[in-house]
Amino acid sequence: MTEDSQRNFRSVYYEKVGFRGVEEKKSLEILLKDDRLDIEKLCTFSQRFPLPSMYRALVWKVLLGILPPHHESHAQVMLWRKEQYGDILHALKVVRFVSEATPLVEVYLRMYQLECGKLPRSPSFPLEPEDEVFLAIAKAVEEMVEDSVDCYWIIRCFVNQLNNKYRESLPQLPKAFEQYLNLEDSRLLSHLKTCSALCKLPYDLWFKRCFAGCLPESSLQRQVVWDKVISGSCKILVFVAVEILLTFKIKVMALNSAEKITKFLENIPQDSSDAIVSKAIDLWHKHCGTPVHSA
Amino acid sequence: MAQQANIGELLSMLDSPVLSVRDDVTAVFKENLSSDRGPMLVNTLVDYYLETDSQPVLHILTTLQEPHDKHLLDKMNDCVGRAASRLPALSLLGHVIRLQPPWKHKLSQAPLLPSLLKCLKMDTDVIVLTTGVLVLITMLPMIPQSGKQHLHDFFDIFGRLSSWCLKKPGHVTEVYLVHLHASVYALFHRLYGMYPCNFVSFLRSHYSMKENLDTFEEVVRPMMEHVRIHPELVTGSKDHELDPRRWKRLETHDVVIECAKISLDPTEASYEDGGDSVSPQVSARFPHRAADVAASPYIDTQNSCGSATSTPYSSSRLTLLHTPGQPPQALSPPSTRLLTEPPQATLWSPSMVCGMTTPPTSPGNVPPDLSHPYSKVFGTTEELSGGKGSVTLSDLPGFLGDLASEEDSVEKDKEEAAISKELSEITTADAELLVPRGGFDSPFYRDSLPGCPRKTHSAASGAQGASVNPEPLNSSLDKLGPDTPKQAFTPIDLPCGGASDSPAGTREHQTPLESSILTPSPCKIPPQRGVGFGRGQPPPYDHLFEVALPKTAHHFVSKKTKELLKKAKGNTEEDYPPSASPVEVLDRLIQQGADAHSKELSKLSLPSKSVDWTHFGGSPPSDEIRTLRNQLLLLHNQLLYERFKRQQHALRNRRLLRRVTRAAALEEHNAAMKDQLKLQEKDIQIWKVSLQKEQARSSQLQEQRDTMVSQLHSQIRQLQHDREEFYNQSQELQTKLEDCRNMIAELRLELKKANSKVCHTELLLSQVSQKLSNSESVQQQMEFLNRQLLVLGEVNELYLEQLQNKHSDTTKEVEMMKAAYRKELEKNRSHLLQQNQRLDTSQKRILELESHLAKKDHLLLEQKKYLEDVKLQARGQLQAAESRYEAQKRITQVFELEILDLYGRLEKDGLLKKLEEEKAEAAEAAEERLACCKDGCSDSVTGHNEEASGHNGETKPPRPGGVRGGGGSRGSGSGELSTPEKPPSQRAGPFSSRWETTMGESATSIPTTVGSLPSSKSFLGMKARELFRNKSESQCDEDSVTIRSLSETLKTELGKDPGTEGKAPLSLDGPHPSPPTPDSVGPLHIMDYNETHHEHREG
Repeated sequence: MTEDSQRNFRSVYYEKVGFRGVEEKKSLEILLKDDRLDIEKLCTFSQRFPLPSMYRALVWKVLLGILPPHHESHAQVMLWRKEQYGDILHALKVVRFVSEATPLVEVYLRMYQLECGKLPRSPSFPLEPEDEVFLAIAKAVEEMVEDSVDCYWIIRCFVNQLNNKYRESLPQLPKAFEQYLNLEDSRLLSHLKTCSALCKLPYDLWFKRCFAGCLPESSLQRQVVWDKVISGSCKILVFVAVEILLTFKIKVMALNSAEKITKFLENIPQDSSDAIVSKAIDLWHKHCGTPVHSA
Repeated sequence: MAQQANIGELLSMLDSPVLSVRDDVTAVFKENLSSDRGPMLVNTLVDYYLETDSQPVLHILTTLQEPHDKHLLDKMNDCVGRAASRLPALSLLGHVIRLQPPWKHKLSQAPLLPSLLKCLKMDTDVIVLTTGVLVLITMLPMIPQSGKQHLHDFFDIFGRLSSWCLKKPGHVTEVYLVHLHASVYALFHRLYGMYPCNFVSFLRSHYSMKENLDTFEEVVRPMMEHVRIHPELVTGSKDHELDPRRWKRLETHDVVIECAKISLDPTEASYEDGGDSVSPQVSARFPHRAADVAASPYIDTQNSCGSATSTPYSSSRLTLLHTPGQPPQALSPPSTRLLTEPPQATLWSPSMVCGMTTPPTSPGNVPPDLSHPYSKVFGTTEELSGGKGSVTLSDLPGFLGDLASEEDSVEKDKEEAAISKELSEITTADAELLVPRGGFDSPFYRDSLPGCPRKTHSAASGAQGASVNPEPLNSSLDKLGPDTPKQAFTPIDLPCGGASDSPAGTREHQTPLESSILTPSPCKIPPQRGVGFGRGQPPPYDHLFEVALPKTAHHFVSKKTKELLKKAKGNTEEDYPPSASPVEVLDRLIQQGADAHSKELSKLSLPSKSVDWTHFGGSPPSDEIRTLRNQLLLLHNQLLYERFKRQQHALRNRRLLRRVTRAAALEEHNAAMKDQLKLQEKDIQIWKVSLQKEQARSSQLQEQRDTMVSQLHSQIRQLQHDREEFYNQSQELQTKLEDCRNMIAELRLELKKANSKVCHTELLLSQVSQKLSNSESVQQQMEFLNRQLLVLGEVNELYLEQLQNKHSDTTKEVEMMKAAYRKELEKNRSHLLQQNQRLDTSQKRILELESHLAKKDHLLLEQKKYLEDVKLQARGQLQAAESRYEAQKRITQVFELEILDLYGRLEKDGLLKKLEEEKAEAAEAAEERLACCKDGCSDSVTGHNEEASGHNGETKPPRPGGVRGGGGSRGSGSGELSTPEKPPSQRAGPFSSRWETTMGESATSIPTTVGSLPSSKSFLGMKARELFRNKSESQCDEDSVTIRSLSETLKTELGKDPGTEGKAPLSLDGPHPSPPTPDSVGPLHIMDYNETHHEHREG
């Protein structure tokens, strides 16, 4: 309790000034100190606050189930993971699917395919759309995580989460997007409808790839978005999309054909992404409420 | 210009002798004026008039309508400004305003008035001044309210002219001054009458100066003697006089009469106020006078005059009349000078007066030429009698006719010649004579127009004038003579014959009187006739007036006669000083002029007198003519002024007449009212009588009624008494009735009570009877029972006796039993104590045990939690391991696939070699390709591509098989599902593990290889087995270690675990990694007493 009060007495000011998540580092550390990590608390935390980058990999791994909640088994489990990675990589090398020259991203893809048993007979076979998604996400994660084992595992589990946990909710997102856009700016929506661009918006890019390749790669903000996605809320994607449209509303309104709009949205300018993401989070909090500490 | 010329033509035509032409032209002018609003025509007319004195033009100008008045006034103002045209302009103005045009009120605003005043203040020509003053005097009553602005101008003019009268600046002739004096006198009257306070104050201030004192003494004071004190001086004030409201209700003639009222001068004064008082006097005197008429007309007239004027002078005059010898002492210098030679003649004899009174200096009486003076004198006479018009002329023959016998033939001839000449002069427009005379003749001429006698006469004279023969004229006059007198002396009749305008009438009957005495022509005749004629003259018409005229007319006549008389007096007795007003002086001057004229006449007959003329005459003849003309002009002006005054009087008279008639009508009305009143009074009387009758009757009726009433009253009283009695009786009866009713009610009540009592008793009776029967039965029972009782008592006694016999044995037994009971009780008590103690101990033990249980429970919970934790940890690790295992499985699958692929290729290659040895090149190429594949990925890719194209049919099938196999391996139960589809795998089942079967399944396309594939022999299989064994062993070890370290309580259960774990390695030949895990989990599940269900759910 004393810790809490000490932690909180400045955070009010930080929040007022606009530094969000400055004090959160400490609370996260406290959370991580628990022996059995409380997954739920970590989820809530990462939904509420952006994760500090130094703990991001750890938290992600925990949330994605790469690491168990017990600290004791971390080393062991990690070892196994590493071995598994090595084995798969070795196997791929043996079957000559990958070589030293193969880019890491593709290696990850092959590994994933292998693990899923979807490895094609030959590396030269054309890629499926889901493989493209995987590649995009892998590319994004590769930039964020240095260690290749961690990287592979994060990619793998993230994609798995998308495919399993969000299988039901991902197709609903375009509808939700339409609904929230209507609430925020009905004119824009009507404009999109009149251009019949609504169904042609880059939903794949936004929702299946989670803005991988859309938001700037180096952006901390995408990681923030992913924090939310990993911690269990894929709705944030909708709000990011809505906010993108709102931000580029004038330009979008100026465009009349669905193709042009789609083209524009696929290549949105990168400079304002920070603002977009922070606004999107606000919007998300506004519409879905701030997630509360369950504990 | 054409129009101008046209106008000029028309103007010349206007003076044409043809009457119809003249009328037409006049009508044309009037039409033009009504259509044209410009000033041009009016200006032209005025110019023409000033040039020619044309009568028709004057007529047009005087009747100008409203829009042209301004032009006319402007034009006249213009003309007045110029010295040359001043006099005619003034006379024109006089003509215009005398007719009182409807726009006269505009005069006060017009610039003409100031310029007139300026002219009066500046001009030095007496004629102009006199004319102007007369015009001003005429104008004043019309514009009384203008006094406010110009009052001081008026006063200044008065001051200037009054001093003029005295000082005579320059070469002003005396004769003119007489006229001027007269006009100043009139002005004095007017100003005093209209603005008394202001005027008096002006006089006071003006004549308080020394240099003016003389003027006051000489001129103003005598004037003041002829006025009475103005009532305004007492009641009014300076401001009040100028108040426009004062003038608003007064008409012009009112103002004139107002002014005349305050005059004491008989020539000026009005008697209107005194009319009522005077007229009775006159009427009273009338019989007397009528009686005396024949005897002494003079006295009569004087009496009437005296009574009329009621002045003290009248008597004195009368006396003076009879004592004429007195010299004129207090007369004003001119008059004294005029009368330097006092008349010796007491009687009115013009010839004598002429000779005696005509002053030597007076040029008017000294004719330079015989014919000229004649004409002049005639002119003046004409001018004087201008108002008389035809009457004068018509009178003249009458007189002439009367006098014809008496007159000197020569004189007569002369006179007749003069008349005819005059007439001819009038009719024939002689340029030389017309120009100076026209102005004076015009009114006369115009006035004479309406008069028909004049017309005939003028026509006759015109005809005679042409022949210039005195004889025909004479004869014609003679002829006319007998006809005309009647006309002449019936003034009322004349206007009917004359014109429709009413003033003419009054004028008409004024003229004969004047003409009879005033005019020189008749006047000069009386000398021949003497006084007798004068005395005899009045009666013929005097009574006619009285008959024909109302009182006012009579009054007027008497006034006129008085005036005549006074004039006569003035002539005869000039010496009485104070009464000589300027007017009288003027009259006297005229008289003298007439005398001079007659003297001239007589001079012709008596040439010796001409010496006197030359002796007296001081002026050259030409000058004389001019003087005479001017005099004539002045006289004409004066006359016009007088005529104007007369008109005003006439207006006044008419109004008064109207009042009289109205008064008469009112009197009539009064009388009628009185009659009515009388009738009504009579009615009232009758009504009164009837009222009395009615009253009597009513009183009688009243009495009757009273008696009736008293009778009825007594009756009523009796009846009332009866009624009261009846009432009392009824009351008594009613009370009785009430009593009866009460009694009945009581009785009824009693009846009811009795009835109820009866009922009750009956009831009681029945009850009693019942009871009785009951009691009887009870008695019987009682008896029976008593008997029984007795029997029972006996039995009881019997028993009691028995009982007493048996009582002694029982006590011992009871004591014994008691002791036994006591012992038993003690025993039981000790037992109870024991039991209690046991209970306590057992309870304590229960408590202990319970606490123990709780502790154990707690421990158990902790254990459970820990276990859970551990379970979780294990599960996490297990998941990792599982995933690893999965990965391994995939890897091996991939490897197998690869191997199979390679095998397939090898076999293919072998077959190919065997079957197609000759096709070594192809095999070599294939080997090369393989080599290439082994060498590098890039090569392999290309190689695979080639392979894919080459062995499409063979490479593809394995892949779906592998996938299916993977699917089967993943789920434990899925293998059975797949088995029915693939019977070969079932067959292969006996000698291979499930893992192998899947592989076999995957390799269905090559059944031979499947069958010949021993899992343990292959390198990969060995490795895999090794891996699995190691893993599972290590896992089991770890598990056991950790679990052992957990707690002792679970030792037994854990002991089983290693056993099962131990079995797992033994069964590792069947390479199922999954079975152990469920087993290991299973026992754990068993331990979860409470949470098994939950765990299952989680699992």
